[in-house]
Amino acid sequence: MSEIMQEKETTLYLGPQHPGITGNMMIELKVTGDTVQRGRTHVGYLHRGFEKLMEERLWMQCFPIVCRICVPEPDPNEENLARGIEEIEGREVPERAKYIRTMVLELSRMATYLLWMGGQSGSAGLYTMPQWTVGDRDYIIDLFEELTGGRVYHMYIWAGGVRRDLPDGFAGRVRKVLDYLEERLTDYDRLLFENAVFLKRAQGVGIIDKNKAEEWGVVGPPLRGCGIAHDVRKDEPYEVYDKLDWEVITHEGSDVYSRAMVRRKEFEQSISIVRQVLDKMPEGPVYNPGPNPLKWKVPAGDAYVRTESARGEFGYYVVSDGSLKPRRVHVRGPAYVHGVSLLEKMLKGMNIADVSFIMNSLGTCPPEIER
Amino acid sequence: MSTQFAIEEELKQSINNAFRSAKVTIKRQGRINVEFRSGILPAFVSYLKEYLDFKHLVMMSCVDWLEDNEFEIVYHLWSYDHKVHIMVKVRLDREKPVMQSISKLWDQAETYEREIHEMNGVEFEGHPGMRDFILEDWEDLPPMRRDFKTREFVDKTYEWRTGREDKQDVRETIAKQYDTEVPDFKNSK
Repeated sequence: MSEIMQEKETTLYLGPQHPGITGNMMIELKVTGDTVQRGRTHVGYLHRGFEKLMEERLWMQCFPIVCRICVPEPDPNEENLARGIEEIEGREVPERAKYIRTMVLELSRMATYLLWMGGQSGSAGLYTMPQWTVGDRDYIIDLFEELTGGRVYHMYIWAGGVRRDLPDGFAGRVRKVLDYLEERLTDYDRLLFENAVFLKRAQGVGIIDKNKAEEWGVVGPPLRGCGIAHDVRKDEPYEVYDKLDWEVITHEGSDVYSRAMVRRKEFEQSISIVRQVLDKMPEGPVYNPGPNPLKWKVPAGDAYVRTESARGEFGYYVVSDGSLKPRRVHVRGPAYVHGVSLLEKMLKGMNIADVSFIMNSLGTCPPEIER
Repeated sequence: MSTQFAIEEELKQSINNAFRSAKVTIKRQGRINVEFRSGILPAFVSYLKEYLDFKHLVMMSCVDWLEDNEFEIVYHLWSYDHKVHIMVKVRLDREKPVMQSISKLWDQAETYEREIHEMNGVEFEGHPGMRDFILEDWEDLPPMRRDFKTREFVDKTYEWRTGREDKQDVRETIAKQYDTEVPDFKNSK
């Protein structure tokens, strides 16, 4: 009899490069036949030591570092660090800057969801979708390029506001892209969210125990996909989210499909949020200047700030000892829990083909696990 | 009692009633700091989890206070019901940092403890499997300690790219390669 017939365990190394994630991460799987018995995650391929690096940089020099912590979604990092410093310093942010920040965060959420749609359908074998969504994501990235000068890493939000005001006619161009994306959503529905292949692969797969989800540290779309309505934007409103009209989106089912539907509806909601922001945006300054960046000392103290990123709660714990450089900046990425301890629990009894599919639905992002 | 921080004041009262030694301060709306001694920390966080509804372990941080010769471990907990974030801070002796593991209370604490063990060298008693997390076969000083010198480590471990030895001007090397002169880039005023 062959080994598989005897139900002997085989070790399968998945990764470091595989389609489930944006980055490099290896999973060691113990399999019998096609079924995963248990798995262990191995990270360490992307450790760049950003937190250590920041201890030797001026406060201003930290902003180009933090945005590199998460590659597909850099803006929550910048916003978090800026807000953390503002909280310690007690620096006021002009109203217009808050609106611009909200717009940038929502645009970045949409760009991340587009990338996720591509990854999710790609790992299910639907290869048209990645081509479309990555192409459409470029329209948002073009907007970022015009606004900030950078396509992927923006370094646009900084302590006290944002770097510069919107260019002339920018709002109109944003609206045009939003209209286009809204129209495009029907195509995505047909190609992915109502696709029989996707439904077959996603429904009832990758179930998170709903009663344990809060305790396990599940956040963001996976938590809302369990029907639990927690969103940092509502729980602890930051920037101008409390002045806008929107609802927390949930979906029952706790499987890959419900997580996908949460993201799909949030994508639609983000379009409406950006439109509201553009409508309500007041005139005024966009930056409240601080001291000379070379002599900028942040008073001693600490602050924890959080943002709802496209994958869940993104948090920064900023500690200052009153010197020119940060004492400690600790980053909490949602994938830290989703990609390691939650995934190891979920791997049991999974099919090998579903591993990368489920990793994608959890939004595993190794760059933020390792920083 | 001010009405502004009603929930926070209430939580402070409950914590002080149960644990006299906890030093509770309200930082702002939705933020509470607790300074605590290390001995009975698992009991304290399990009290927060079971009785005061701090179900969500946000993260665990470790701050190195080299001048005080102490590590500060910070447990970040969030209550979805009260909408309050609590930071439990524990100071450890830097010479022999030992802490009890809370991985029985939260599974994800296991990962955080592995990282703090690796990056700061803090021992966790009762941890189910203390293996490498990010670094592999690391034998140097734990890298997130403040007395770990990054530059010295880089000099010791890596080789500089050729053309950059002895603080040599890299433009000269390039100019030599292309058989030209170094252009004069002085800023004119």
